[in-house]
Amino acid sequence: MKRTVSASPSAPVSRSLKARTLLALALALTVPLAAGQAGAQSARQTTLVLGGDFSDLITLDPGVSYEFTGSLVTGNLYDTLVGFEGNDLSKVRPRLASSWKVTPTSAGSQITFTLRSAKFSTGRPVTAADVVYSMNRVISLKSPSSFLLTDVANLKVGSVTAPNASTVVFSIPKTANPNIVLALLTFNVGGIIDSTEAKAHEQNGDFGSAWLRDHSAGSGPFVLNRWDRSSQVALDSNPNAFRRSVNIKRVILRYMLESSAQQTALNSGEIDVAWDYTPDAFNAAMSNSKLKALKTSTFQMAYLGMNSAKGQPFEDPRLREAVRYAIDQDGIIKSLLQGLGRKVQTIIPLGLAGSNPALPYSYDPAKAKALLAAAGKPNGFDVDFLVSTGSCSGGVPCQDLAAKIQADLAKVGIRANIKQMVNAELLTAYRAQKAPLIQVAWSPDYPDADGNGTPLADYNAHSLAWRNAWSDPAASKLAQSAAVEIDQAKRIALYKQLTELVVKSGPYAILYQPYKPVVTSSSVVGFVRNANGDVQFEKIAKK
Amino acid sequence: MLASARTLFTDRRSTLRRLLRNPGAVVGLVLLSLLLLAALLLPPLLGSPLEQNLGVRLSPPSAAHLLGTDQLGRDVLSRVANGARLSLGLGFTVMLTSLVIGLVVGLLAGLLGGWWDEALMRLTDIFLAFPGLILAMAISAALGPSLLNVMIAVALVSWPTYARLIRAQVLSLREREFIDAARALGAAQGRVALRHLLPNSVAPLLVQASFDVGSAILTAAGLGFIGFGAQPPTPEWGAMVSETRNYISQAPWASSTPALAILATVLAFNLIGDGLRDVLDPRGR
Amino acid sequence: MVEGGGQLLLIYILRRLALMVFVLWGVTLAAFVISHVVPADPAAAALGNNAREEQLQDFRVKNGLDKPQVVQYAVYMGKLFHGDLGVSLRTQAPIAADLRQFFPATLELTLVAVVFAVLIGLPLGLIAALRHNRAPDLLARIFALVGGATPVYWLAILALNVFHERLGWLPGPGRIDAYSLAPPVRTGLVTVDALLAHDPEVFVDALRHLVLPGLVLGAFSAALLTRMTRSAMLEVLGQDYIRTARAKGLPGGRVVWKHALRNASLPILTVLGSLFGSLLTGAVLTETIFSWPGIGGYATSSAVSLDFPAVMGVTLVAGLAYSLVNLLVDLLYVGFDPRVSYA
Repeated sequence: MKRTVSASPSAPVSRSLKARTLLALALALTVPLAAGQAGAQSARQTTLVLGGDFSDLITLDPGVSYEFTGSLVTGNLYDTLVGFEGNDLSKVRPRLASSWKVTPTSAGSQITFTLRSAKFSTGRPVTAADVVYSMNRVISLKSPSSFLLTDVANLKVGSVTAPNASTVVFSIPKTANPNIVLALLTFNVGGIIDSTEAKAHEQNGDFGSAWLRDHSAGSGPFVLNRWDRSSQVALDSNPNAFRRSVNIKRVILRYMLESSAQQTALNSGEIDVAWDYTPDAFNAAMSNSKLKALKTSTFQMAYLGMNSAKGQPFEDPRLREAVRYAIDQDGIIKSLLQGLGRKVQTIIPLGLAGSNPALPYSYDPAKAKALLAAAGKPNGFDVDFLVSTGSCSGGVPCQDLAAKIQADLAKVGIRANIKQMVNAELLTAYRAQKAPLIQVAWSPDYPDADGNGTPLADYNAHSLAWRNAWSDPAASKLAQSAAVEIDQAKRIALYKQLTELVVKSGPYAILYQPYKPVVTSSSVVGFVRNANGDVQFEKIAKK
Repeated sequence: MLASARTLFTDRRSTLRRLLRNPGAVVGLVLLSLLLLAALLLPPLLGSPLEQNLGVRLSPPSAAHLLGTDQLGRDVLSRVANGARLSLGLGFTVMLTSLVIGLVVGLLAGLLGGWWDEALMRLTDIFLAFPGLILAMAISAALGPSLLNVMIAVALVSWPTYARLIRAQVLSLREREFIDAARALGAAQGRVALRHLLPNSVAPLLVQASFDVGSAILTAAGLGFIGFGAQPPTPEWGAMVSETRNYISQAPWASSTPALAILATVLAFNLIGDGLRDVLDPRGR
Repeated sequence: MVEGGGQLLLIYILRRLALMVFVLWGVTLAAFVISHVVPADPAAAALGNNAREEQLQDFRVKNGLDKPQVVQYAVYMGKLFHGDLGVSLRTQAPIAADLRQFFPATLELTLVAVVFAVLIGLPLGLIAALRHNRAPDLLARIFALVGGATPVYWLAILALNVFHERLGWLPGPGRIDAYSLAPPVRTGLVTVDALLAHDPEVFVDALRHLVLPGLVLGAFSAALLTRMTRSAMLEVLGQDYIRTARAKGLPGGRVVWKHALRNASLPILTVLGSLFGSLLTGAVLTETIFSWPGIGGYATSSAVSLDFPAVMGVTLVAGLAYSLVNLLVDLLYVGFDPRVSYA
């Protein structure tokens, strides 16, 4: 028996009621959407969005932050006493300090800064006491960047004093160079924090570090709105800043780990700046009229480290020279980097006073083979080649670079056995002098020739020269004298001697000095990234 | 169980015939044969998988490079074919290793019973408490990135299934009369195990083993994608997909070929496993 | 009779819980052992290339890395009981806080994936069983087989390339558009938070961003569900009482929905545990590609940077969750079908 289904008498009414409710709901969603769209458009115009791999960001405390992204952001949240403007890294300019004087003293030298009148985002004025607090906390916190103040500038708690509210005095011992100290103070470690605010959030004597990890209390052009880890960092413009941001009211750094995702997002207009283009994509972007492909300089250096200890494969300096002849630098720069690198062979980066553009090693496999034979290895030899995972400087995958080098070395008889490992493990082996041949990059801690000179040439500094077990007393002496030499001309002459010595007998085969490719949409104006990695967001506009 | 034992050993030819009549299994076997042939015959015929030719990076399939080149100008077909050797070898080795471990544990648990059983089963439970990839990732991370370590990791993740299988078989067969009869006749435990228990367990083991090879290859490729496993420039399929993923727009063949190779291989083993199950143990679908 | 059964059930539950505690302890031990077979120096990992030796030593002492392993384990277990999973070497933040922050993203994604998996897998499996050995069955089986063999990360890369880059139908990686500010965090689920903040624009945006990763993850798991549904339904449909019902002339539809589905729900339920494991695995492999700030991406980044406390933390939590889900499934099994005995 089939049961009949009759239409209920109320069906027509209920159906129209449902329809009307749906319509109302749709309107409710679209009207704010439409209105929101209009508001969103203008907000979009004053919002700068960067897409990149910002996963190295650990903290936004300027006294602790040491990673690239940390520096990038804190540089916009806090002001330093002095800074660099635009791309010019040769001269420090006034920032929070309107002027300064360097005077010699019996113990060394003294820098006296006069502060300008400025306000923190909290509304409080910037005083000398804040500067003293900010410097002292860095020294006491023993953070990864503290050594810049303690070891390089040789400062202690008490070295920085405030005779009055707008004057700060740095007392520097003879062992440090006041010009280097000025350069150091441009870094985020020299960022001035609102001491009252930091003290209010202090926990267990951490100088407010836990709170400052994801909050800001600076006088810079922006304040931190929020930091959603692995998701986004949002900055809002700071109305109290003297470096006021006129055109950009909000900056969003959006985590985008995949380069291809950045490319798509930039093309669709979802982001304005892409931080991690691959060399191939960058090449394509250069001929795209809707994009601006910027080759920004770095002071980084990609190089091969060759362990020169007794008993190690590269003990004989001729073998090290052979490697320098065997590497096809032009091929690497042209094909792998698509031009995103500069050919360098000496240890001071181009762009710093003291750099040496000489290229004594041409690509000469025959010469390399001859050197191997002269060193008693006519049939070549085997060597373990330590390489990192992930992306190497210039945007090229480390394994691709390693594969190319392995091929180049194989041509002259050196059989490099690639051992790819995580950066942590790689560095552990390197630090223990256990890396026979290693592919790695170096970035100077401060924009000064000594940032490379000492670590690479002075065995006693327990840095790169030490890791490669290369001890050369002449090189050490040159590095040490050049570090403290105040006369510019004499200094440059010393560095010329040093670079020539190292390029002949040192344990390094410099591969290239990379550019960092940054691609922006053509509507972004005023975007400058200097070799230090700083970007001044307040100078940017979107047309 | 008795029936399946007889099916397997006394009617071997009939089993094979029934397998060959199963369309899924046939597809799987054909696919596997093709892959094996490719793995064995292609590498000597093609160019080196390591040779770089930066002038022809990311070039599309052509006469010189049948499946194009990757970001270093290396021949994709050659790399995938060599990768097949690696993956197939890995799959079988891992399966055999985990089978042996599982066998030992399962036999001990089932035969010895009591405290041993409890302890071993808890150990099995501990390993089974994790989703496979996550445990394998933790182990690989601890041991370091290398092909051997990935194999160890995946084997450590796969053995519990075998242990449980064997133990279940042992427990159910132990009660059978013919075992009691054998024991009554004085046969030692070990002999009982080897001569009577094992042959009857082969059926479900074979099915599991087939799925296991595919699963091992898939997991290892996943680890390779993350960065563990065979080190560059060794052509490992998962690593190849990872290396070339940024070029998916300009050179889709570079990442798709190894991905499809993974798919085909795992599919083949799954099809064979399905077929074996249909033939040997149709109730356990 | 009922009381006796109830008592048995209670004993069973208690026994399973006790076992689970023991297994979890074993899990912490296993995780600890694994994570301490480390050739790399976590201090170097955390502090980077330019750190000096004194800083490294400071770091080691601060994190207790210089004490013997047994002491480290004891300290770890002590902290664990207080819910303290230690501090991540990579992010320098408490791992428990990290996991709490990243968990909602994975939860949101997994929920959407489950919906897709059920929407795709269940009907496919049913149709395959009802049209056994005909075209729909074959297609469903192909889908299930291919889905189970595909590397999910490649599926993700492909899906993004096709549907976002080439066709522009769906948005790209991330939970919301890059230029949008996320709503204030209340639940961690962007969709819910957007609604709570009366922001329909972001709500819609978040939904749209969930589609592609949800589909990829869901499809991967749908294959599993299709297989199980199909085989469970086939088994049930082949049974005598179904044939009897059909012989009695009851309409086909009613037979399926009233009897077969209810009885097949049991074995389908058992696959929930594997589904959960499959979703976790899928999350680990796809979250990086979708720049999804979830547990999967966290696990991958931690493993790759050899951040062992974090790896241990994630593994532990995953193991705990997985065990709980399996326990739940087993209990539901018992609840649904009292005929099953668990003596």
